[in-house]
Amino acid sequence: MINPGRAFVACLWLAAVSAIAPPLAAQQAAAPALNSQQTQRAKTLGKRVKCMCGGCDDAAGTCTHSGGQFAGPCDTAKAELKEIDERVARGDSDDLILQSFVQEYGPTVLIEPPKTGFNWVAWIMPIVVPIVAFLLVWHLVRRWRHRAELAPAGGPPISQELLSRAREEAQKDLNE
Amino acid sequence: MDIFGSFALLLAFFAAAYALCAGIAGVLSRRTLLTKSARHAGMAVFALITLAVASLEYFFFTDDFSLAYVASHSNRALPAFYKFAALWAGQEGSLLWWSWLLSVYAFLALFLNRKKHPELMPYVGATLAGVQIFFLTLNNFVANPFHVLGGADASGVMHVAKVSEGSGLTPLLQYPEMVIHPPMLYLGYTGFTVPFAFALAALLGRYPGEKWIHITRRWTMVAWCFQTVGILLGAHWAYSVLGWGGYWEWDPVENASLLPWITGTAFLHSVMMQEKRGMMKVWNVWLVFTTFMLCILGTFLTRAGIVSSVHAFAESSIGGWFVAFLAIVLAVCLLAWWKNRDYLRSDNQLDSLASRESSFLFNNLILLAACFAVLWGTLFPVFSEWFTGSKITVGPPFFNKVNIPIALFLLFLTGVGPLLAWRRTSSDALKRNFAWPLTGGMAAGVIAFVFGFRDFYALICLILSVFVTLTIASEFFRGARVISQRDGVNFLTAVGELTMRNTRRYGGYVVHFGMVLIFIGIAGQAFNRDVQKEMAVGQSLQIGPYTILCQNIDQPSNDNYQSERTTLEVFRNGKSEMMLYPERRTFLTSQITQTVVAIQSSPLRDLYVVYAGRSPDSGKPVVHAYLNPLVKWIWFGGIVVVLGTGLAMLPNRRAAIVLRPATEKSWGQSATSPVSAPIRRTDSND
Repeated sequence: MINPGRAFVACLWLAAVSAIAPPLAAQQAAAPALNSQQTQRAKTLGKRVKCMCGGCDDAAGTCTHSGGQFAGPCDTAKAELKEIDERVARGDSDDLILQSFVQEYGPTVLIEPPKTGFNWVAWIMPIVVPIVAFLLVWHLVRRWRHRAELAPAGGPPISQELLSRAREEAQKDLNE
Repeated sequence: MDIFGSFALLLAFFAAAYALCAGIAGVLSRRTLLTKSARHAGMAVFALITLAVASLEYFFFTDDFSLAYVASHSNRALPAFYKFAALWAGQEGSLLWWSWLLSVYAFLALFLNRKKHPELMPYVGATLAGVQIFFLTLNNFVANPFHVLGGADASGVMHVAKVSEGSGLTPLLQYPEMVIHPPMLYLGYTGFTVPFAFALAALLGRYPGEKWIHITRRWTMVAWCFQTVGILLGAHWAYSVLGWGGYWEWDPVENASLLPWITGTAFLHSVMMQEKRGMMKVWNVWLVFTTFMLCILGTFLTRAGIVSSVHAFAESSIGGWFVAFLAIVLAVCLLAWWKNRDYLRSDNQLDSLASRESSFLFNNLILLAACFAVLWGTLFPVFSEWFTGSKITVGPPFFNKVNIPIALFLLFLTGVGPLLAWRRTSSDALKRNFAWPLTGGMAAGVIAFVFGFRDFYALICLILSVFVTLTIASEFFRGARVISQRDGVNFLTAVGELTMRNTRRYGGYVVHFGMVLIFIGIAGQAFNRDVQKEMAVGQSLQIGPYTILCQNIDQPSNDNYQSERTTLEVFRNGKSEMMLYPERRTFLTSQITQTVVAIQSSPLRDLYVVYAGRSPDSGKPVVHAYLNPLVKWIWFGGIVVVLGTGLAMLPNRRAAIVLRPATEKSWGQSATSPVSAPIRRTDSND
């Protein structure tokens, strides 16, 4: 037999739980609240990971998904941004957050080559090649100058007639 | 009609093949008749490809969807304007368009020089025909736009299957600029074939002197100008259509268009060293070769699908053809250079580091460094996949980090170059020339810093922009002052007179000023802001000094698309300033949705508003507003660059006096008959 008192208490509990549970669940589903510094960090990190939907080449933080039904972040980008928000709220470092994305999607998720292993080459080459080229040009210039210094002074003979005609023409042009 | 087009294309292929064979035979046998017939065949290629293009356009304009290409890129409701542009919307049509533009250049090059340079032109004709053969091979046998829809029945008889409606043109291309942007870019790409052909011809034929440089100067400038316009129109299209608030995303296809532009720019500068001092001959020849090869590489990147891009054509097997062609071109260039390398020996040496020659040298170095950085970043995903098995993303932050310092150094050299004299600049002249521009630049930097300008690169860009502008202004001022005092004319007339006396030099300065404006516009990006908000009718958002109020949402439509449009009223300081109408169009045939951005542009800033559509979560309309400072300066700078290029192509009003022996050799080689050498007037090319 059901005890009416217990049934009443159970109903009260049920009512209380049903009143509290949806907002709690909603709170869990929504992005965690971040302070302004954290928001800025999350925004910056959002621009460092690529939207992995496969339909665009945007960063998750700037995904406008051109040609899609909605010109804002697509579902994939939103999920990535939410994960960033959660990890930033949890206090994870930038490296840890990016590493978690690399583990999930592979290194292609990073919007620029990571500065590790073979990928260092991506960063080094645009610096090394101009420096080597600069040194080569410098060497070339020095050699040219050295040759110019060694060249006999005076050069080929130019007749007085030609020189005077040249001077006359130049003077005439200046006077015009 | 499809047979007509196909047949015209096939005939064009054979005509080009004949032009090549007869040209080579004519050169080897020195028979004028052969070279003449080769030239005529080369010109006939233009007429034949024109017929093929006209034939394909006929299919578009008559809504004849029996051709697979027309059915895939057009539909009945497509406006006529876009039916014309649909010609280059896909792989096959754009290759045909490429061939046609190339044939226009080839025709003009052959026709305009038909009575000139008899020793050079047969080589030029053969080179142009060689390039045309490659593209006509693609048009005829690899990506033929005249494939008819249909197939064989049970008895093996072929039937044409005519569909009643086409798939329509990609919505991204249904924008007025898309009718102009690809032809401009292609005119740039194909235009570089002419200087390439002349350079190779001069090398193969050991053509004396710097004649090929003089002949190709205007051709190169035309191609460079088209490439500039094409790139800027592409950037403007991305800004106005894609709806992400930016204009350049370092997309591989964007990069592909930039590469030949950079080497072309380097060439336009370094040729002056060859013309003035007979230096850098090997360098110049290789710059032209590289520019042409980068054009082909860019086309390969766009069409082979090896790099991912929103602009790229569908992945196809066409890449192998481009690789083979590039390999052949490289082999021919290497062979021609190796066999004739003694022909490219410099006449002079560099006299001083503080000279215009060395500034050109470093300008070229920096330009090539920029070219390498862009190429490296574009291809690195492919390299990383080869070496590590995983494809690395190389996005805009990489390109910005690498290229911004290079670009700023280049801007600095733009200011330095004009202040240095040819051969040697004395320390007094250095101090005198640099004092005001440097002071002005630094003063601008200090003022900007005091007013809260803190972005490092933007600040450096401002300092350099002022410095370069002052150097350009001082160049005009000094020259015009002399004319004004001597001729007694007012200063503005003197500026005009000065400019028209040496259009190349002062046109070049105008181009530099245009580039300064573009740099300032790009630097404005550092201060971009954006806000995205769900906005029902009656709600508003705030961005910078603007308040944007949503007044209405309606659904206008036509036969081509259905639209959802917001009517936004923009207030500034409580006063209504303008109405904006951003919308989203869903194209009926393809069911693809496209943003139509509303932009209120002013010299100071752009208010750029995108209607993003209805939020997938709440169903409410979402508006994304951007405040982009100084963007208009980029487009205005582009116009200045084009005007400057046009000016530089004009002949000088009055020829300057240049003393030169009749043999056209340098002073150092004119010892044979110094007395009899006449003094004559030639165009000054400073």
